[in-house]
Amino acid sequence: MKKVLLVGDGARENALAEALGSSEEGYVVYSLSSYRNPGINEVVGKTGGRYFIGDINSVEEVRRVIKEVNPDFGVIGPEDPLFHGIADEFRKEGIPVVGPNSEGAMIEKSKVWMRELMWKYSIPGRLRFKYFNTIEEAAKFILEYGGSVAVKPAEQVGGKGVKVVADIQAYLSDEKRRAITTSVGSIANLVKGDVKILIEEKVDGPEYTLHVLTDGKSYLPLPLAQDNKNAYEDGIGPETGGMGAISGPGYLLPFIDQEEFTRSYEIVKITAEAIEREVKQSYIGILSGQMMLTSIWGPTIIEYYARFGDPEASAIIPRIKSDFGKILELLATGHLSRAKVEVDERPSVVKAIAPLGYPLDKNKASNHRIWLDLPKIREMGCKVYFGSVALEGNSLLTKGSRAVEIVAIEDDYGRAVEKVDKCFSLISSDTKLLFRHDIGRTIDQQIEKAQIVRYSYKRREARGILGISADWSPNGGLW
Amino acid sequence: MTGILGVYAFDKVWNVSKFLYYGLIGLQHRGYSYSGISTLGDRGFSKASASLPPEDLPLPDMKGWSGIAYTGYDKVYPYVTEEGALVIDGVIKADIGEFSRELYRDPERAIGEAEGVFSLIFLSKDGVMVGYRDELGIKPLEIGGFGFDLAILSSEASGIAVVGGELKREIEPGEMVYIDTYSISYKRLKDSRPHKYCSIDILYQSRIDSHVFNLDIYDIRVKVGEQLYEEKKVDGDVVIGVPDTAIPYAIGYSRRSGIPFSLGFTRTGSTIRTMLASDDFIKVIGVQLKLNPIKSAVRGKRVILIDDSMVTGRTLKNTVFSLRSLGAKEVHVLIASPKIVARCPYGIPIPDERELIASNLPDKEILKIIDADSIYWLSLEGLFKAIGHNYLCTGCMTKSFPKRWW
Ligand SMILES: Nc1ncnc2c1ncn2[C@@H]1O[C@H](COP(=O)(O)OP(=O)(O)OP(=O)(O)O)[C@@H](O)[C@H]1O
Repeated sequence: MKKVLLVGDGARENALAEALGSSEEGYVVYSLSSYRNPGINEVVGKTGGRYFIGDINSVEEVRRVIKEVNPDFGVIGPEDPLFHGIADEFRKEGIPVVGPNSEGAMIEKSKVWMRELMWKYSIPGRLRFKYFNTIEEAAKFILEYGGSVAVKPAEQVGGKGVKVVADIQAYLSDEKRRAITTSVGSIANLVKGDVKILIEEKVDGPEYTLHVLTDGKSYLPLPLAQDNKNAYEDGIGPETGGMGAISGPGYLLPFIDQEEFTRSYEIVKITAEAIEREVKQSYIGILSGQMMLTSIWGPTIIEYYARFGDPEASAIIPRIKSDFGKILELLATGHLSRAKVEVDERPSVVKAIAPLGYPLDKNKASNHRIWLDLPKIREMGCKVYFGSVALEGNSLLTKGSRAVEIVAIEDDYGRAVEKVDKCFSLISSDTKLLFRHDIGRTIDQQIEKAQIVRYSYKRREARGILGISADWSPNGGLW
Repeated sequence: MTGILGVYAFDKVWNVSKFLYYGLIGLQHRGYSYSGISTLGDRGFSKASASLPPEDLPLPDMKGWSGIAYTGYDKVYPYVTEEGALVIDGVIKADIGEFSRELYRDPERAIGEAEGVFSLIFLSKDGVMVGYRDELGIKPLEIGGFGFDLAILSSEASGIAVVGGELKREIEPGEMVYIDTYSISYKRLKDSRPHKYCSIDILYQSRIDSHVFNLDIYDIRVKVGEQLYEEKKVDGDVVIGVPDTAIPYAIGYSRRSGIPFSLGFTRTGSTIRTMLASDDFIKVIGVQLKLNPIKSAVRGKRVILIDDSMVTGRTLKNTVFSLRSLGAKEVHVLIASPKIVARCPYGIPIPDERELIASNLPDKEILKIIDADSIYWLSLEGLFKAIGHNYLCTGCMTKSFPKRWW
């Protein structure tokens, strides 16, 4: 029987574990996580594997576990282990693995590297950007230059620190810029490297994520999904790793058409090839374009993931009818061309549940007990993936981030959303729980929003000015 | 006639006072004889207010990461104590000081027990913002966001758009929204159906670019114009509307009738300044005082003049007179609302019945006074038809009020 070692501990890894554990190949699932995730634990137990608790970012630790398990292949869920060279380590030990080497993972780790790559290879969907080594320079730029901007930490720091400032109202310009300037310091503190701050032009439109599987030779796109970043109800409030996602029907979303899908796919494919040329290694794993349909480009890259998005994974993986565990193995071993993806036509909705305090105050959100009526939720036809919640004794304790994700797949979004919301009522805690009722209920607004940007980018395309944009300001000229 | 606004920052690096200032200008069409702003900062609440429209309010030199604002006619607001700041659109049967204390202690209970018809925004000194929309839906309240940083509560979307925010949705009638640094949550406190949206708000008060009461205001007003034609087909040469409110009505009438629409007036001064009228309602609908007709648009023509309402008839009389003196052959008056015959008990300052021409005189007499060739008011059924339902408060037109609170 083949053995697979899964690295990671969130809801995404729970979804991956489930796919591996239910594969016809009968994989024995081993897991290395930093705490005992009840969902992964269940799969590991069922398949007769073992649950290792340890530092998922430590090369030594992973080496030790690999030696002990001697897996046939590995799957790495989160980005941090990729940045720390965990995939490199698997390959050094001769174990095929899903996940790029640390050089390839630069596409996610460094937003500056990513933007430079896109410009160097003239990849469509690129945005204008500038980067800064000091807070002072960045602050000066923000105060002096006109236009709407997104200010970000130059490195991936786990869904934090992004400030988006629409600056159309001249009369509030100072107010907005001053607030952002004050935030720049804390944004920069999140970053370890020399380049601290990335500033890029702000764009607008509906967002979506396209995941592409690749073994460096062939490519396989998965159905689109849409993440929802704001922490609170109705899409208001601070940035999070994602409070919920929708996917489908079919490969599309109701507001993204086939042509836009094809273009997005092209963009991600070209990027994977560009990475390969740049780092002179195959990119083996998942490359996900976190995209936005904008009036400047149509499909536009906001950032890349070198892995599955979370919660997107929980919306997509359950919709895959073919043996996804097997597909992961084919990917790792370089036989992706033999893989076939068959997708459930029906749409899915996933929503995350997080303890009060998330995402601003991790302490406040940690060490709360959570109860859920798992049998009843499953009986109602929802799936549950466990995230930042640890099985300690017989209780579930929150670890400070999104604790649980609930998924429903139904004939239409209306029904799926209703079901997820009903299942949410079967979950309780000793603290208030964050849950976004609006996710999955704003499809019509998004269709309208997409139509508006579609008029604009089609017009640009017809005039041959797709992707061209600039801002001018008397203080500093053009950027 | 009132606009209320609340701006809440999740990160205290923001100073929201200018957001309140400009947002309030986006609401001043809802009433503007008095306005004020209050913000919450490190050292408690600050407040600035004056008997001026928001746009004439001196730019406040205040700091605060959160705040509320008011534009209207009631000098009590923003009502600020050490514990909290409060703004209300509507009427409430309570001592405002006591109500504010109750809101601080237990907002759910305070609102649950309060009698009246009101939407409100309350900001506590501990940084909790509470919003509530009246359970009949007579008063509007909407919520929006700005990036990852701000939540905005506003009577109408115009207060959200003007600061660059995005309208998220209308607060449901009877729904309370609770905002603090770590969460936003909703709770239905009262359920009172059928809802009764304020017809006056839909017909005059809301801005034409607003989406309130589940309606796109501009579309509804064009439809009301079309409906007017269905009800009253006047043989004329040109359709003109009294700016600004009646223009969409005239566009609708012109579309349906095929009679050309013309801009019949131009304005002297800004929409809201130096109004002569003494009371707020007449100020809003009596814009024509400052209007000058355009001669070439009306000379030698049979004019179909559409106005949004008639309260005392005085302004309309002047308008008809000036159209005639510029050479209009005939002047037919169409009013894009049913007759207004009663005071509003919910805070729209419609004058007393004895000042309302339509509740005192028959049409024939009114016609004589304003000296028009014909006059017609939109029917109540026509109003329902244009809006698509009858979940409306039409108390000032029918004297049948959905709620006795007094
Ligand atoms: N240029 C931009 N214009 C408009 N919005 C943007 C822009 N860049 C980022 N955003 C918004 O900010 C969100 C987060 O940005 P981004 O994905 O770059 O940050 P992150 O912290 O790496 O997030 P993640 O959790 O996805 O890793 C995006 O989903 C998008 O909503």
